[in-house]
Amino acid sequence: MLEILREYGLMLLVGEYPHGKLGGLALTLIISIASLVITFPCAVMIALARTGQSRPFKAVASGFVHCVRAVPLLMLIFWAYFALPIVIGFPIDATYTLILAIVIYQAAYLGEIIAAGIEGLSKGQMEAAKALGLGYIPTTFRVILPQALFNVIPGIVNQLTTIIKESSLGSIIAVSELSYVMLQVNSNEVTKPLQIFGILAATYFILCFALSQATSWLERGIASKRTGRVVVEAVA
Amino acid sequence: MIEFDGVSKWYGAVRVLRNISAKVEKGETIVLCGPSGSGKSTLARTVNRLEPIQEGTIKIDGTDIHAKSMNVNALRTGIGFVFQQFNLFPHLSVVDNVMLPLQRIRQQSRKEALPTALLMLERVGLADKANALPADISGGQSQRVAIARSLILKPQVLILDEPTSALDPEMVGEVLKLLRELSSEGITMMCVTHEMGFAREVSDRIWFLRNGELTFEAKPDLFFSSNTHPDVRGFLSSIH
Repeated sequence: MLEILREYGLMLLVGEYPHGKLGGLALTLIISIASLVITFPCAVMIALARTGQSRPFKAVASGFVHCVRAVPLLMLIFWAYFALPIVIGFPIDATYTLILAIVIYQAAYLGEIIAAGIEGLSKGQMEAAKALGLGYIPTTFRVILPQALFNVIPGIVNQLTTIIKESSLGSIIAVSELSYVMLQVNSNEVTKPLQIFGILAATYFILCFALSQATSWLERGIASKRTGRVVVEAVA
Repeated sequence: MIEFDGVSKWYGAVRVLRNISAKVEKGETIVLCGPSGSGKSTLARTVNRLEPIQEGTIKIDGTDIHAKSMNVNALRTGIGFVFQQFNLFPHLSVVDNVMLPLQRIRQQSRKEALPTALLMLERVGLADKANALPADISGGQSQRVAIARSLILKPQVLILDEPTSALDPEMVGEVLKLLRELSSEGITMMCVTHEMGFAREVSDRIWFLRNGELTFEAKPDLFFSSNTHPDVRGFLSSIH
């Protein structure tokens, strides 16, 4: 295993870079972070539409969520990779295709998680904001979302780890992320699949485990700030 | 100042307010009381449109507040509302809770809003808790913060929906003391409460509701006298 790491360690980390395109673990991280960054606002919009008063927005968001939940991610990737270029008339880079498919897919799931966070808030919070005369924007962004998002941090992290794992599907459309690189290594080292895929599994595990631990720490920090803070001085 | 004229409301097939007509004069303190489910909270909530009505009109200074053309947010900035469960925003500090309307409605910066908010907290005796979170303070203190928040935009009217019902008995006094002070300062107040001592001492008039109907209204002297309405007598004996 160490021998493989010695020989292919750099490839595992950055793919063919600097002699070729960036790949490996670095590309997996870039795809995951880019997907999450784009997914998050989309998911918030879906959640607000799902929980809001506007019937047309609610219908569109519900339709989107139901459609996406009914299809596998792999099919979305195939659509984005094979069918979309025909529809729009020009090809798209496979990495962007993968990010697009993950964003569409995860926006539906993350949107449902955030919607659950909003629905879970006490009715009194919304009523208090209304009674103060706050409009939709301050009510949503200053009162509702900060509480709802905090309440669903575990669900959001779960989806982020799912995004990291789903990025491995990029290997099917030749995106040179971590799994694709390790498939190439396996093709070179035909007799060592146990070690190669052991390294691959361990890398994903470390990545996802570290992320969930970091988030638990963050969550505890916010929770103690919100509920257990000792007031030592007041603004005078 | 506030004029209810033939106000009725239904929840589905259930009629919860029945043809209520009454007036609240400027600076008056009105206490609404009655058995559970009599519609007193619902009536209070119609004044800032937290509850829509299906029949009748409610006018404040001659303006029909349930008219479709009414800007509901502008209306609400002129009416303070205090809830039974305080409904402070738990992620914001005490002072941020109080400042929020100044920042988001009056568009003041934090620096501009802070002195006003601190003065208001001082007014309710909680300047030393400005940086605390709602979870760090007691129920009575939370309700006083909620009252401070509802008064920060200097509303003409203050509506209180059972402001002491969720409090431990030892916390009730501090909230009632503040309400007494506010009442004496001349704010128009409608308070839903079971605190009959407060009603007797502070209110100008008491409205008694039963099954969604305003069955009796009187000054405290008459309300608590032996000549009161038979329904009121029954109600008073049931809560004592």
